[in-house]
Amino acid sequence: MYLEIKNLSVDLGEFKLKNINLSINKGEYLVLIGPTGSGKSVLLETIIGFYNQKEGSIKLNGEEITTLLPEDRNIGIVYQDHVLFPNMNVYDNIAYGLKNKNIPSEEIDLKIKEISSIMKIEHILNRSIETISGGESQRIALARALIVEPEIILMDEPFSALDVSTQETLTNLIKEIGNKFNTTFIHVTHNFNDIWNLASKVGVMENGIIHQINTVSEVFSKPTNNFVADFVGIQNVFEGIIEDSSTSCAKVKISKNLYLYSSDEDICSKIHPNEKVTVAIRPENIIFSNESFESSARNRIKGKVIETKKSGPIVQVHCQVDDVILKGILTRNSFESLDIQKGKDIFLIFKSLNVNIIDTYTTFKS
Amino acid sequence: MRSKFELLFIGITVTITLIFFITIGSMFLVPSPEGFINALFSQQMIFAIGLTLSTALVSATIVILCCIPLAYTLSRFDFPLKRFFKIILDLPMAFPEIVIGIALLLFLGNYGIGSILEFYGIQLVFNSTGIIIAQFFVALPYATKSLYSTFNYIDTRYEFVSRSLGYSQTDTFFNITLPLSKEGLFATIIITLSRCIGTFAAVLFVGGGILMKTETLAVSMYLHLSTGDIDMSITAGILLVIISFITIAVMEKYTNDNRNQMI
Ligand SMILES: Nc1ncnc2c1ncn2[C@@H]1O[C@H](COP(=O)(O)OP(=O)(O)OP(=O)(O)O)[C@@H](O)[C@H]1O
Ligand SMILES: [Mg+2]
Repeated sequence: MYLEIKNLSVDLGEFKLKNINLSINKGEYLVLIGPTGSGKSVLLETIIGFYNQKEGSIKLNGEEITTLLPEDRNIGIVYQDHVLFPNMNVYDNIAYGLKNKNIPSEEIDLKIKEISSIMKIEHILNRSIETISGGESQRIALARALIVEPEIILMDEPFSALDVSTQETLTNLIKEIGNKFNTTFIHVTHNFNDIWNLASKVGVMENGIIHQINTVSEVFSKPTNNFVADFVGIQNVFEGIIEDSSTSCAKVKISKNLYLYSSDEDICSKIHPNEKVTVAIRPENIIFSNESFESSARNRIKGKVIETKKSGPIVQVHCQVDDVILKGILTRNSFESLDIQKGKDIFLIFKSLNVNIIDTYTTFKS
Repeated sequence: MRSKFELLFIGITVTITLIFFITIGSMFLVPSPEGFINALFSQQMIFAIGLTLSTALVSATIVILCCIPLAYTLSRFDFPLKRFFKIILDLPMAFPEIVIGIALLLFLGNYGIGSILEFYGIQLVFNSTGIIIAQFFVALPYATKSLYSTFNYIDTRYEFVSRSLGYSQTDTFFNITLPLSKEGLFATIIITLSRCIGTFAAVLFVGGGILMKTETLAVSMYLHLSTGDIDMSITAGILLVIISFITIAVMEKYTNDNRNQMI
């Protein structure tokens, strides 16, 4: 194991981290989720060395780091609000971690050129921090952390202050970096998209403990307790085998008569027929219809309603399709106008874009 | 259209400020120009100005050097009885300066460690050393409080990032924390200087209020008032007002200029 945390406990008075165990391999991408106040940030800051632990041990790359000071651990951190040093310009922010290491300034220059071309921030190196946009700041913060080649990078809600399109760009950038440097990440988020897009493992925290930590498909399809099940929500997670794939689309066989189409370009180009994959479809992306109407959505499946659950203005509908159960949600209004009842046949329609192939981080890397 | 609420509050603000202005300003009208000039250039006044500024500079320097570690410790570190320490350091701000003066006099004088010190030829009261000690005790709590809120205001995550990049706590303090607190540090220096210059009761007791020896401007004002030398007394007062005005104006300008540069 590359990072191995055993029986870690931290006591902050009102709040305690209790008996944390986690291990990840080099190049893996762990996403931590959990309600606010569950201790995700405290866990990151304990790994990096800012809180004294009461018990337990942390091993990184074969070395016991439990008692090392933060400055001796070589772990990078990136925060939501970027915390760039306002008393330095962009260049000096990125160079900061190299300046204490006796590296000749020409070499620092070269390294900064390299990292800033990957991060596409060459044009702003001489700017001062106040003139930088949110997305640029996050690129700079990443560059600053990466340039010292840390053993692992911890990110605390790195995207949550950014607009959706910037989030997407940065997600791709992080994948690219992971690919290039085989970087190991721990990423705290409230956004499940980060799980679909990046995670190879996911951990669910509550009140200072980790309820479950495992591969994405394991956690979403087999939550170990009610808390995890509730927190990850109803999800459609299935294992399948690639039947056919091109650069832009993949056909995945889920069961004998059930095939799903996915068009996640990033992944489709990296997978091959007969590979085993896990796919996820968010319930809210499924449209219900009484007829199989023509639309741009590639997936049109007939199923039988086996259960309906009303909660407030929302209705959950479970449908049997071949060997599996697909779950969707509807508003009360559409539920009534479609006249959905137990035993009724219905069409489930969803775009291939909404069929996420997960476990991507390890899938596309291997 | 301004609301009644707004008009009322502006009215209160203007009235109270005017009362202050008139009260302080009226002092400037008391001495005749001739009397003012004579007092200003008298040997005694020049001595008082020199003594006030030199002792205040020395004590303010010591206060600043001490309050940096104090304020940082209180803001960042946890240790047993921390709350108790904080209360002790805040306490002198709550009671009259004269209490510090008498306590210091008792402690440093012949009732306290004075006789022991005298044996070694050291005297800490009734001289300028006494003045500096008194100014130190009066100003330190204010300086610590001011710098404490400055440090509290700086996000600790700047320091976390710096340390995660391999910098020790000491290097981080000098590379990141201090530069980010420069505005607050400057304000603290100004507050400290004006506290040191303006200290009266404590300086009177510990310094002894000896003419031409431990006579700071504030003490001079009091001594001359009690002997009926109004010109000398008011001139010392006017000088104190001018010095305070300059320090506060500098602070206002500096902090306004810098506000936009800080996060
Ligand atoms: N230095 C500290 N001392 C004492 N308690 C702390 C400290 N830092 C955080 N806490 C408490 O620990 C708990 C967990 O905080 P943490 O910031 O780790 O939550 P989180 O899971 O990151 O939440 P969010 O999703 O809102 O960021 C909170 O109740 C918080 O008040
Ligand atoms: Mg947090």
